[in-house]
Amino acid sequence: MIFPLHSIRWRIQAWHGLILFFAIGAFCLTAHRLAWDNQLRQVDNELERTMGRNLFRLLSRERKDSANADPPPTSPAEFFARLRAGKIKITDEVAAIFHGTETGYAYFRIDDTISKETLLSSDNFPKEFNWTLPENNPALSEPIEAFRIREQCREFAHASPNGINVFVGRDISAEMESLNRYAWSIALCGIGVWALGLLGGWWLAGRAIRPVQKISTTAARIADGNLSERIDLDGTENELDQLSRILNSTFERLHNAFERQRQFTADASHELRTPVTILLSETQRALKRERTPEEYRAIIETCNGTAQRMRHLIEALLLLARQETEDTGAHSESCDLAQILDDVQRHLVPIATDRNIQLHAELKNAAMKGNPTAISILATNLLANAITHHHPNDKEKNIYISTGSDDDGTFFTIRDDGPGIPEQDLPHIFERFYRADKARTGNSGHTGLGLAIAKVIADNHGADISVQSLPGKGSVFSVHFRKKLI
Amino acid sequence: MRLLVVEDDPVLLRSLAATFREENYAVDTASDGEDGFYKAKENAYDAIILDVMLPGLDGWQVLSKLRQTSHTPVLMLTARDTIPDRIKGLDHGADDYLTKPFDTDELLARIRALIRRAVRQTNPVIEIGPLNINTTARRVALDKEEIQLTAREYALLEYLALHRGEVVSRTTLYDHLFAEDDNTFSNLLDVHVSNLRRKLGHDIISTRRGHGYCIE
Repeated sequence: MIFPLHSIRWRIQAWHGLILFFAIGAFCLTAHRLAWDNQLRQVDNELERTMGRNLFRLLSRERKDSANADPPPTSPAEFFARLRAGKIKITDEVAAIFHGTETGYAYFRIDDTISKETLLSSDNFPKEFNWTLPENNPALSEPIEAFRIREQCREFAHASPNGINVFVGRDISAEMESLNRYAWSIALCGIGVWALGLLGGWWLAGRAIRPVQKISTTAARIADGNLSERIDLDGTENELDQLSRILNSTFERLHNAFERQRQFTADASHELRTPVTILLSETQRALKRERTPEEYRAIIETCNGTAQRMRHLIEALLLLARQETEDTGAHSESCDLAQILDDVQRHLVPIATDRNIQLHAELKNAAMKGNPTAISILATNLLANAITHHHPNDKEKNIYISTGSDDDGTFFTIRDDGPGIPEQDLPHIFERFYRADKARTGNSGHTGLGLAIAKVIADNHGADISVQSLPGKGSVFSVHFRKKLI
Repeated sequence: MRLLVVEDDPVLLRSLAATFREENYAVDTASDGEDGFYKAKENAYDAIILDVMLPGLDGWQVLSKLRQTSHTPVLMLTARDTIPDRIKGLDHGADDYLTKPFDTDELLARIRALIRRAVRQTNPVIEIGPLNINTTARRVALDKEEIQLTAREYALLEYLALHRGEVVSRTTLYDHLFAEDDNTFSNLLDVHVSNLRRKLGHDIISTRRGHGYCIE
């Protein structure tokens, strides 16, 4: 593994962990909040209904039990009047509920807002109690009720329109304690789920990354020089599979290009080895002893011929290399195939005549766009090929050259009545250094590259080059330049 | 010593043949695999120089067909110089392997070594009593005194010396000393033998009537 921050797996893991952390955190907080609200509602209910109402009930019941008691108040108004008069005291029963400071203790106080006095208060009512309720509005028929939390106590205030304020409080440290425990357990659960989520995320990220790692290790092996290596496809057609497919085809193309280059270099050096061997052999033989001028002359002629052969080969190699990197668009100009072919056949007439071959040209105007120099090389190579493959001692032979144009574009053909090309050689004749006759022809300038160069030039022009041949009857080479769609 | 050179490039073939002839070898040539195989099978050669890239049968095919019947030393010439190519050459039964381009002297030295190895004579200098034959320099000395021999005389002496103790028939001598296009008369061999005896002493070559010649 590389440095953690640079790895996609680590980044996915970090983001995943962060998001999961916030999600679980929010969930825990909500759960905690809900539990707290629920707890408070219960406490509030208890405070309001049980304690508040009970207090009044118990306080008003007091009168009944006492011997010199007034009759129980018949209405809240009477009760409050008595309360203001100080006639209502805290009974044992009430004191039993509102006393002490143990966990869960309760306390109360009843204030008169008019006289601003405390009418009744439990013993344990806290000293630092400060709760200013909003000013009571006598016009308001509804009492004001409020809850608050002070320190560890939940308090309930009831302000009735007649000016009596009742405060009831209850210690809720036990509830807070239990809620605390709940909070801890929820936090632990959250951390647990988070850890599980992280583990799952790590596994998932690993799984998601695995094809990428596979691709990268394969690519690394290819980079190390093992060019035939390919990425395994799982056939799922997912994004990574498509990527692998694209990479594989890229590797294939690179491999082929590399292989062609390697083959070409090997072939070129192979082709150059034989003439160098001849030069070494002849010169070393010449130097071994004194010779007659005639012998020297023969040796020098051989060397000269061999050097010429090397020159042809090097020129052909350079031409091929140049044509391969050629940008035809740069040299494209209007030209006429008929004129180009006419020039070419004029140049080759002497060679053809030497070999007792008649050239017949039937040239119709065929204007096109292209590189005339390159097309001239292409035509020369095809025509020279037709001429040199005639057996020189045959009876008079003919080569027919024609040009023309049709709906698709322009074309030229070179037809001979020579020996033809054997069927098994036809697919290979445009390959470099491929020789149908296998035997080398010595100093004839035949390099095995002529048709390869022709093919490259045709390809550069987007032209089709095709050959038909019947052994014993002759061959037809035709080149078809398609009209460029503008 | 008679050699066969199989090479498809006509100029190189001519040059190699000329080189070997100037070193007093009898040389036959072939420019394709089939011709080469036919000649190698029909004639007795002391060594064959075989190019790999040949029209018709290629060098490997010629070699493997040849190896079924013949043990003639073969030196492969090739333009391929990768290690697997060399291994392939030697594993196919080639006795030696030379990559183009090569030095003529190296080729000649390798051919001499091949011929010596074929008759289990590893020392390039052969001593027979007072006679000293240096096969590298092609010099013959009797009692430390150099004797001038013609090319044919030397070839005859060398062949008999390399096959010392064997009776070599006249046909074998003809096969190994003359190329197919040499027009010689059969009594030429007797002339060379008598010349050698005159120069080196009568006892050096003994005649076995009806069998041939022998150096003891």
